Parts: sequence; C-alpha cells; structure tokens
Amino acid sequence: MNTLAVKELLYKMADDQLILGHRNSEWTGFGPLLEEDIAFSSMAQDKVGQSQALYQLLHELGEAEPDTVAFTRNADQFHNSQLVELPNGEYDFSLIRHFLFDTAEALRFEMLTQSSFEPLAKLAKKIQGELRYHTMHANIWIKQLGSATEESIGRLQKSLDEAMPYALGLFENSEFESDLISSGVFAGEEELKSKWLEQVEKIIDQTQLTLPDVLTLTPKTGGRAGIHTEHLQPLLDEMSEVFRIDPTAEW
Amino acid sequence: MNKSLDPRVNRLDLPQGELTPKVPLDQFGTFEVFVQLKEGKGYRHEGSVHAPNIDMAFLFAKEQFSRRLMCAGIFVAETRNVFVTGFTEDKDSIYNHISDDFPEDGEIENYEVFHLNKRGKQHEHIGSVPSKNHQHALAQAKGEFIDGPPVFNIWVIKTADILFTEEEDMIMWNTLHEKKFRDASDYKAADKIKAFKERQQ
Amino acid sequence: MYGGGNTFEPMKATGIENEDPVLLAEFEARIERGEKIEPHDWMPQLYRKQLIRMIEQHAHSEIIGALPEGTWITRAPGFKRKLALMAKVQDEVGHAQLLYSAAETLGKPREQMLDDLVTGKSKYSNIFNYPAFTWADSCFISWLVDAGAIVNQLANARGSYGPYCRALERICAEESFHLKYGHHCVIHLATGTEKQREMMQAAINRWWPPMMHFFGPPDKASVHSEILMRWKVKMSSNDDQRNQFLDMYVPKIWELGFTIPDENLKKNTVTGKWEYTEPDWAEFKRVINGDGPCNAERLAVRRTAEERGRWVRKALLTPKTEYVTPLA
Ligand SMILES: [Fe+2]
Ligand SMILES: [Fe+2]
Ligand SMILES: [Fe+2]
Repeated sequence: MNTLAVKELLYKMADDQLILGHRNSEWTGFGPLLEEDIAFSSMAQDKVGQSQALYQLLHELGEAEPDTVAFTRNADQFHNSQLVELPNGEYDFSLIRHFLFDTAEALRFEMLTQSSFEPLAKLAKKIQGELRYHTMHANIWIKQLGSATEESIGRLQKSLDEAMPYALGLFENSEFESDLISSGVFAGEEELKSKWLEQVEKIIDQTQLTLPDVLTLTPKTGGRAGIHTEHLQPLLDEMSEVFRIDPTAEW
Repeated sequence: MNKSLDPRVNRLDLPQGELTPKVPLDQFGTFEVFVQLKEGKGYRHEGSVHAPNIDMAFLFAKEQFSRRLMCAGIFVAETRNVFVTGFTEDKDSIYNHISDDFPEDGEIENYEVFHLNKRGKQHEHIGSVPSKNHQHALAQAKGEFIDGPPVFNIWVIKTADILFTEEEDMIMWNTLHEKKFRDASDYKAADKIKAFKERQQ
Repeated sequence: MYGGGNTFEPMKATGIENEDPVLLAEFEARIERGEKIEPHDWMPQLYRKQLIRMIEQHAHSEIIGALPEGTWITRAPGFKRKLALMAKVQDEVGHAQLLYSAAETLGKPREQMLDDLVTGKSKYSNIFNYPAFTWADSCFISWLVDAGAIVNQLANARGSYGPYCRALERICAEESFHLKYGHHCVIHLATGTEKQREMMQAAINRWWPPMMHFFGPPDKASVHSEILMRWKVKMSSNDDQRNQFLDMYVPKIWELGFTIPDENLKKNTVTGKWEYTEPDWAEFKRVINGDGPCNAERLAVRRTAEERGRWVRKALLTPKTEYVTPLA
C-alpha cells in the first residue's frame, strides 16, 4: 500500500466533509422552517464528525492531531473541492450542493466499504446509515422543490447550472489514481463519477429540472491541489479565530 | 443596523428599517410521530411535526425525535387520520363504552391500535387488528383488551395511513450511541477543578 | 433555555366569575389532586389564555435563544466544541418546535405565533437581547443561562398542563447536556491560560446583570400570581427561583476563582436567602420593551429567516394535507 496515496485520499475526503459541514452549520437557527432547520443541522454535524474520524485515521498514519490539522492549516494546504467552500447562497443553492455532494459522498463511501485499507473500510461501513439519511433527505427535497412552483423550479435550475461545474471538480483525478485502484484502496474517481452521474440523472429525471450537459462543461478543478476560490481563506480564518488565540491552550 | 457580532448574520443581508409584518401563510399538515427506542420495545407517541407530506414528515420526525441516545425505528401518520375515542377516568376503561356494533362498509385491512394507560402519559402502540373500518377495529380491540388494565383513551390508525421505517433504513440510527458530544456524561472535569484548587493553595 | 419573568396578561378582572362553577370546581379539584389537564378537558378561558401566552413566550425564547450562542457556531475552537455547540444550538431550535406544538394544542397555530414574534407582538426572554462578544460569552450562556432555564423548566414541568409538561420533560433531558457542556467550557477557560481566565471573567461581568434580571422582577402578591399558582401555571415565585439559582451556582463560580460584580452578594446565614444589590428594573423594562442592545437584530434575523424561507414553504404548500391541532 502506498501511504502517500492513502493520505492524499483521506485528506481530500476529510477536508470536503469539514468544509461542507461547516458551511451547512451556518444555517442552524436560520432555516426556512423549524423542522428542516433541525434536520439540516444534524447532517452538518454528521459531516464534521466524519471529517474528524478521517483526520483521526490520518493521525494514525503519522499526521498531526485532528484539531491541529483542521484548525491551523491555510487555504493552500486544504484539499477540498471548490464546490464545498462556496458561500451558502439561498436555500436553493445549499440544497442543490447538498444533493450533488451527498450523492457522490454516499457512493464514494459505499465503494470504500470494499477498500483494502481496513480502517477506512470499517469507517465507511459504520457511517452507511448516516449517509442513507442524507441522500434520502436530499432526494426527497430535490424531487419536491424540483417539481413544485415556477419559482422553486427556476431557483433550483439556476443553482444546478451554477453548481454543476464545481460538482464535476469533486472527481479531479489524483496523481495516485492508478496506485489506489491497483492496490484496491479505492476504485477511482472515474468510476465514482460515472456512478454519480447515473444517480444524479435518475433523481433529476423525476423533476422538472434539466441536467446540464456535462460534456459541454469545464470542471472547476484545482481544489485537490490546494488551489481555491477567494472564499476558503476567510472561512478558515473565521473557523479558527478562537482556536488560534492560543493553539496550545485547551479550550 | 450596526454590524453584527455574528459573522453569519452579516452574511444574511438583514433588511434595513422598520419591520414589516410577515405575510401569514397557511400551515403545513400535522403528523403524529411514534418512536421505538429499542428493538423489541413498543412504539410510543412522542410528539408531532408539521410537514407538507408524509415523506417529509418522516425526514423531520427522525431528527426532531430520534437524534439522541437510541432509536430502533419511527413511524408517522397524519393527525387527521387518527381516529380518537372519548376519555374515561379512574378505573373506568374506555372499552366499557365502545359499542360492539360497527358499520359494515369497507374492505378488511389492518388497523393499528394505541392505548393511553395513564393520564398525563403518552399513547403506546398495542397491536393491530384486521377490520373493515375504524369502529370495527375498536370493537375488535375491545374483545381483546376489555379485561386488561383500564385504558383511558384509544387511537386507531389504518395501517396504510402510516409511514413505517423500512427494513433497510433501520441502519440510520446505527451511530447514535457514538455521538458522545451530545451526551452529558462526556463532560467530566472534576479533575481539572481539583488540580486548579490545589494550585491556588 | 428559558427563564422566569414571563409577562402575563394584565388581569383587572379574572373573568372566572363567568365560568360554570361546577366545571370550574371539577377543574380545580383535578389540579389539586395533582392530575394533568389535557387538551380535550374543559378549562377556564383564562387558563387557556395565560398558558398560550406563557408557552408561546417560552418557545420564542428558545428560537431567539439560539441566536446569541449561534454567534460563535462557526468559530468554536476544536472538534469537540464545534460539534457540541452545533448540537446545542440545534437543540434550542428543537425545544422551540416542541413548545410551539404544546401551545398549538391550546388552539393557536404555529404560523400565527411566529407572526406575533417577528412583529414584536409577543415577548421572549429578555436575556437574549444581549450580545455575545467573545467565545467566553457563549460559554457563560451555555452554562449559566441554561442553568437558570433549568431551574425554571424543572419547576414548570410539575405544572398542570399535560402537553407542556411532556415537552419540558424532553427538554430537561437535553438541558443536562447543555449544562455540563457549558460548565466544561468554563472550567477549561478558568483553569487555562491567563488570557482565557480574563476572557471568562469579562464575560461574567457583562452577563451578571442580565442574569439577575432573568427570573423577572420581585413578586408582589397579586390576584394574578395567586390564581396562576393555584392552577399550577406558575410554579414558583421569581424570587424563589432566583434564590435557588444563586444557591446552586454562585459557589461554583467562586470555586473557579472568579468574582461576581456585586459586592453586596452574599448568603444570609440566618434566613438562608441570598442578598444582592437590587437589579436595575428600569433597564429590564426598557429592554423588554424593545430598547436593548440586540432586540432589533434578533427580530430582524428571525424575520429574514422567515422571509428567505417563504418561497420554500410556498412551494411545498399543498391542499393534500391539512393543518389540524396536534393531538397531545
Ligand atoms: Fe452527507
Ligand atoms: Fe432550551
Ligand atoms: Fe439549553
């Protein structure tokens, strides 16, 4: 097993979960209806918890403590996709992103239940239930708002068009792609992407939304290599504002 | 308005000036939520959610009523589909007041029966009876339960009107017990206080 | 979270002289026996009105109460705090949901209550109109404001209205996590670096006056209090709750080496009651009536949330389901 390759995989997954969990937590207390406020917050907590578990795996591979890794790196050291760092926008954008991301996330972890890297396979199996709820939530919401009023369909369509190039950036290939595949750690971004497209299409087909033609889109890549939009660094500054007052202190 | 101390609020673009009243909306429907804490235990009424349909009611109920400790399954039913009997007091079981007669209309299908065993507590799921309609279900339940401990109020819901947790969704609660961060017992710090006091002396 | 200091409907006449004396006697006897009143039971108009008002205020306090601590939700230091604060603030929103349901069983729909909140028609706990300047302020709230709320909620959980008591039982179970989490945070600041201690002391200094206001003005014996106590709507006096809070938490604050900004604060060993400088009730009144440091922001945030969510609710509204009062 190529440890560098595994670390790279773990980092990009952990960073995705953390940054999106953080973004989604911004809705807590501001949600469009009370019960949804609660549901969306739970999923944000799941994501932050999952990122912590992934950083813990990294820690076991020799990286620093989860808190240090999460709260002291700068944007260029983060490997998350650009999709997750974009501002929340209105609820339509947050929901579309949640749908696109969580569909990929659930499939990725499902593939990883077969990973030859045991600790990751174990984690992937453990969180299957959390992911099942997330995708159930996303699918129900998209199906309903995607076929409800002119306004909701229009809003979702606009957000879908905006988010799609970024979502394709989720599948940015790593330099270790063939390593990961041959060693059975992960079946690779290409395979994930085709499963994802199939699933996304299946849900969008049940709505009045139109999936943009992915062949005509340029994926927003770079995130995996530490190239980010202008939104990530301010997010990190905010997230670590208290922690960085004294990173050695116990809070 | 001044800049907020909450960076999230600053990103919200708060409206300036006077508050304008929110336009009143019609409300979503009401759904009753029943939770099973552990496998093998009964389902108990836990509360209600507002939702536009039963699928969303399930989504909402799951996080509002089973996000802590443990849960093995939940089900939801629209409140207006709950058939509610009258109430009795003291030792007088409501079954003493249930008629043995019932209308003949309807095909036989399952109905779920819920008992209120103590005033001030929640209704508990007691079982299901194949019946033609709600009154028939009550008459059937009467035969079975009239000799038991007194029941003060009964709810009957047609099984088809309930959204149950599907077998493959039961894993949704698997990691609940690991979410220590919402568990009071995970916040012990007596040692820190003790060490602090010792340093003070 | 929530505290005392409910504002009740001003009562010149109680209106109970118009109620059916036989029904009223049965109702009072039931409460006297320690039984709960349920939504289908007969109840005096006044009981219904005051309960709606109280539970609604409590619900508003939960949903607005999510905001001061929410101030720090994106900045909580470290995973453990980040997860806990997210869950804690979420619980407060959840408490609002439970309490609105309880109030709905008395006949007021939730949307109407939310309307009355954003238009300023109904009140919520005064303390949430104060700002959380630093992380330590959020720790103060989690520990001590929630502690105050628990004193109040445990008392109310012994009240007479079934749905409210059941909601409070659920709520109190969650509050124990809030309280422990908050205390844990404060202990870490207290036993940490000099800078951390200073942050915490400053937060205590800021929050002490609103904390003393939290349980409401001193009780004066009035018809209103007397009848509400008899009907187990109001379960203990503001002063008793304040005293209970001081008794339980002042020693715990002192134990951590902090000072409390009231030189007159001490327990009278003869009466067993705490003595303190009379809180500034004029300020309390002013803030309740809208002129606190954060009233405008709190309401504007709620209103924005409602307005930005409108298209979502509108899109989902269908005639296929129907609003009815929750059952229990
Ligand atoms: Fe997810
Ligand atoms: Fe609360
Ligand atoms: Fe609380």
